[in-house]
Amino acid sequence: MSIFVIGYYVALIAASCLAAYFGQRRLFLLLFSMTLLSFVLGIIGGVPALRFVTICAGLLALAAGVSYAFKEFLVQVSRPSLAKELRTAPLTASFGMFVIFTYAIAGIFAPVIAPYGESEVITQAFAPPDENLLLGGDQLGRDIFSRIIYGARNSVGLALVATMLAFIVGALAGLLAAVKGGWFDNLMGRIADVIMSVPSLIFALLMLSILGTSLWVIVVVVAVIYSPRVFRLTRAVAGNIVVMDYIEAAKLRGEGDWHLIRKEILPNSTAPLIAEFGLEFCFVFLLIAGLSFLGLGIQPPTADWGSMVRENATLISFGDVTPLIPAGAIALLTVAVNFVVDWMLFRSSGLKEV
Amino acid sequence: MGDLLGLVLKRLGLGLVALLVVSVLIFFAVELLPGDIAQAVLGQSATEETVQALRERLGLDRPAIVRYFDWLGGAVTGDFGVSLVSGERVSEAISDRFVNTLFLAAYAAVLAVPIAIFLGILVALLRNSIFDRVANVLTLTSISSPEFFLGYVLILYLAVRASMFPAIASLSGDMTFLELLHRTFLPALTLVLVVTAHMMRMTRAAIINLLSSPYIEMARLKGMPPFKVIVRHALPNAWAPIINVVALNLAYLITGVVLVEVVFVYPGVGQLLVDAVSKRDFPIVQACCLIFAATFILLNLAADVGTILTNPRLRHPK
Repeated sequence: MSIFVIGYYVALIAASCLAAYFGQRRLFLLLFSMTLLSFVLGIIGGVPALRFVTICAGLLALAAGVSYAFKEFLVQVSRPSLAKELRTAPLTASFGMFVIFTYAIAGIFAPVIAPYGESEVITQAFAPPDENLLLGGDQLGRDIFSRIIYGARNSVGLALVATMLAFIVGALAGLLAAVKGGWFDNLMGRIADVIMSVPSLIFALLMLSILGTSLWVIVVVVAVIYSPRVFRLTRAVAGNIVVMDYIEAAKLRGEGDWHLIRKEILPNSTAPLIAEFGLEFCFVFLLIAGLSFLGLGIQPPTADWGSMVRENATLISFGDVTPLIPAGAIALLTVAVNFVVDWMLFRSSGLKEV
Repeated sequence: MGDLLGLVLKRLGLGLVALLVVSVLIFFAVELLPGDIAQAVLGQSATEETVQALRERLGLDRPAIVRYFDWLGGAVTGDFGVSLVSGERVSEAISDRFVNTLFLAAYAAVLAVPIAIFLGILVALLRNSIFDRVANVLTLTSISSPEFFLGYVLILYLAVRASMFPAIASLSGDMTFLELLHRTFLPALTLVLVVTAHMMRMTRAAIINLLSSPYIEMARLKGMPPFKVIVRHALPNAWAPIINVVALNLAYLITGVVLVEVVFVYPGVGQLLVDAVSKRDFPIVQACCLIFAATFILLNLAADVGTILTNPRLRHPK
């Protein structure tokens, strides 16, 4: 029994007692079940397992602290009406916003933050990390840390452009279909059905094998694959609005389709559309990451997270974590966006699960 | 019963039409190539004669529509033509790999489906508790991670650091079944993680949706024990959404399998497809895409049919 183990259990049990004393039922349940779990873990995994749990708990607490502080910061700096809404955000959502904010900073100021250029060869292949190279060198001797920073710009930027295109095409088609109805509506619906009946990754592979892998091809192909989803949602949301009386009134006033879409339908469907944009971004981001992992996305020497994982994958067989960092960066951003979208969906639908 | 059969047949017919349209899409997408296949495969530096020779070999002098029906006829009988790169028959290259891919997907499904349904029902019953919150965050994380991230994390911790499972899922003919399961455990586990998370969330949503309906409240109010409420009242109506969830997620496996096969160097169709795409071996790309799309459509169809069979209300559309 080391000091660490004794301290670990004392801290856990003391914390659960405190939670029980102050009537925090949930916290108590969590802490106490963790204590019980730790007994099992401690027997199986020994001290390292307990150390691992401590580190995880510490990280979680840190993340929670940061997101709470970030939320308070946002509440302070934003307008009163916005601040009121932000106050209701759960910790997960503010964590998501914090992560997105960090990525945006990293992407925008990449040349300032990164110590080296993205395709600058500065050392030998797979150089170990030292004080100059935070994460070591990659397979060509480029600085992995700088490439990850630049990756925030390239990977996220490409996904963002593709999502926007998909969204504009899909939303426009959906709104037009809802307003016009008839054959146009049917045609668009059928086209969407056909595109959606091919798995997205397979469709992307087919199109990229034919059209090559230039950036514009990727953007257009991804937009074609994902716009049907946006179309479906927009069509459904707008379909509910088109039957309202005020739309009828606007039509009787003699307003055109474009006015109906812009002034009557769009303002009433922004909330679900924004949430859908977030979700769509996650799908697109994961698809593009998968494509670049397969060597069909952003081409070298441009830094990109998906291809970085593939290029440095050999390091994993030596037990090195570095190749996982770009993959983890992809996962973290997707999780963050999902957290924020979850909150927005919850707010916009007023959906209170029973 | 007769009109149930009619409804199912109608769905099958629609699926067939979808498959036909997709085959048209897959075939004619290749026609989008600048120039034609022969030019694209041989490159700019090829002489006019070699291009002409390849054109003749592929029968490109015939109109596209004739070639499409040729190709479709071949595809129906399992003949997808000849690989442009190796000269091997595509059907031969695919058949073994297809069995491997099916095995991997089935392995993952057998593990994932019971776990996901059990956990999904569990978190639905414990909804809004701390366990539900934790499960929500965990499943969201698992869904949001790219498959290759999960795969490499598993390789790093279970294969390299703990050396419990092999990192590369190479198969040989003379393995026992148990050995096979051990070899392919990591790729299967990666798929299980992703699919379980999806299925759990969807099952949870379906069950919660159901538990808020009035007849469940009635059963509860008349003093029925919670276990009985679930088994006797909720479950018979929950089958439809659950079958739907399972089929949809099996369809999702089809896409996931491509990335996982590449990560674990597993000899399946996904790996073949990715190789063929980088070599621009169009007959193989087309065949693989058609197989994947067909499986995808079939599973979606299964979801539809399953829903119709388990939900009497859908049998009598208004």
